[in-house]
Amino acid sequence: MLLAVLVSTRLVQAQSSGETGTDRPTVQMLLQRIDQLEARVARLEAAKQTDSPTPTPATAEKPRMPSSQDEAGSQAETESEQQAGTGSEPERMDVSKTLLRIRGFGDINLHGDNQKGDTTSFTLGQLNLFVTSDISDKFKFLGEIVFEGGPDNIYGQTRGDNNVFSVDVERMVLQYSRNDYFNVSVGRYHTAIGYYNTAYHHSTWFQTATGRPFLFQFEDRGGILPVHSVGVSASGMVPSGGLGLHYVAEVGNGRASRSPFYEEPVQNVVDDQNHKAFNLALFARPEAVRGLQAGFSIYRDVLAPNKSPRIGETILAAHAVYIRPNFEWLNEAMVIRHAPEGLSHVFQTPGFYTQISRRFGAYRPYFRYQYVNSSANEPIFPDVGRRQGPSVGIRYDASESVALKLQYDYTSIRNQQAISALALQLGFTF
Amino acid sequence: MQRCLGRLVIIGMAVSGLLGVCNHSARAGGAPPNEQDSPEGNLAIVVNTSNPVDTLSLPELRKVFLGERSHWPNGRRITLVMMEPGQPERRALIREVCQMNESDFSRHFLHGVFTGEVFVSPKTLASPVGVRKFVFNVPGAIGYVRASEVDSSVKVIRVDGRLPADKEYGLRIGPPAAH
Repeated sequence: MLLAVLVSTRLVQAQSSGETGTDRPTVQMLLQRIDQLEARVARLEAAKQTDSPTPTPATAEKPRMPSSQDEAGSQAETESEQQAGTGSEPERMDVSKTLLRIRGFGDINLHGDNQKGDTTSFTLGQLNLFVTSDISDKFKFLGEIVFEGGPDNIYGQTRGDNNVFSVDVERMVLQYSRNDYFNVSVGRYHTAIGYYNTAYHHSTWFQTATGRPFLFQFEDRGGILPVHSVGVSASGMVPSGGLGLHYVAEVGNGRASRSPFYEEPVQNVVDDQNHKAFNLALFARPEAVRGLQAGFSIYRDVLAPNKSPRIGETILAAHAVYIRPNFEWLNEAMVIRHAPEGLSHVFQTPGFYTQISRRFGAYRPYFRYQYVNSSANEPIFPDVGRRQGPSVGIRYDASESVALKLQYDYTSIRNQQAISALALQLGFTF
Repeated sequence: MQRCLGRLVIIGMAVSGLLGVCNHSARAGGAPPNEQDSPEGNLAIVVNTSNPVDTLSLPELRKVFLGERSHWPNGRRITLVMMEPGQPERRALIREVCQMNESDFSRHFLHGVFTGEVFVSPKTLASPVGVRKFVFNVPGAIGYVRASEVDSSVKVIRVDGRLPADKEYGLRIGPPAAH
């Protein structure tokens, strides 16, 4: 049809040449318009042909035959070649180009409680710059640089000043991915104790609630676990069919144990002893129940406080979580055992939490109950005592990147007045 | 003069019609409307022709497209190729294979990269031609295109033992979601 139209337009042009002089300017204008439209038709036809599903490999006009792909070295093996495969600029180490990708997380809070001396305050939470870089096909860098306000709270002791921000390198890891069964990370990472610690890291936006369960609080926020480690971590799948077994094996510096404890719990640069901490975790993600993960971990270290006997530390943790887009149920329990050498008494600190939530559109109400019970004579964290209580809240996802959470916490503490707290949090990613 | 105007109108209609065809092709990814219900409108999972994998079960495919498996049995790293958000093929894959919506899928990958469990994010390409080109050139790549877009530059793998032309094939693109 288009051909007919074009032929007829040429006839029109031919006939137009014999028009009277009075119409000539108009005819000339129309002929120009026809020429323009013809050119446009030609362009559209060409574009239509380009869109046809003819194979167009990046490096040749004609598709390469499968036999040519089988030749050694003929195909892209690395990330840089993959980029070339799409015809875009190759991604390789180039001083004129950064390979960094940065994702940000942050939160701003309004918090109030009934504790004596506390005031209702707006609080800047953590500003987390999550940095990744695909160094090569097998190596990747991953880091979390966190800016947060002080003071720190380490085993009940405060350090630093109010309202002063500091910078922490919370994660700094070089990952090597050999295959599905063997991956190695070196650097500072989150210890694979239980589930929560390695699932949410330093982003409140990912978390349903406004904060971590007390058991998994960070070391500088009153936490009792060696949440961070500096060392080597290996992980991967275990051939187990539909059971979906995974392992994590870690060797690291462990937590600092020289007095005073409250200086810096994470041994980033120097280990205060030659002994290393070990952690082994095993968990299953069965195919039959998608979203279910259940597992346990064993952490072992020896602490050496000044002027007191060495303390063997064993942390046994178990978890069962079920997470689907609209529903989550997290359950974790653990025992922290501290066994001073030469003493028959072992200090055991049990703890658990359960958290359940259900999404209704943009709203997600949730409930958490947590418990931890530590002896008043506990040699490492004597300030904890027994604390337990529920938290109830609602999360509203205002957009895909912004969440507003309102949470009420009631915490009873042994020999202290119970704490009622209300928090409003704006968590976001950018 | 009148004839000239008449021809002009005809050309105008032709141009309009051609523009309409092109726009429709762009919206529908080049597929005529009646392809939605035909085998050619099914979603074909494509890999590089050198990939030894010929068939995957739906749960295995889900693990691949959720980044839970990072390597093929021959040791090559899996590189996921996704089409841009809003494309019907992408919607179909996320719905039928990942059993999620776009928002949950994005969040899943962001979380996976954040925890370190997902080594590399999916590559996002704009067109079926781009997907085929990428899969053709990258031995570990896996992507998807409308079955009618498949050519000999890529290999279609069976899902639960079935190819897109089979009657019981489970991955249908379906009608575009209403906006």
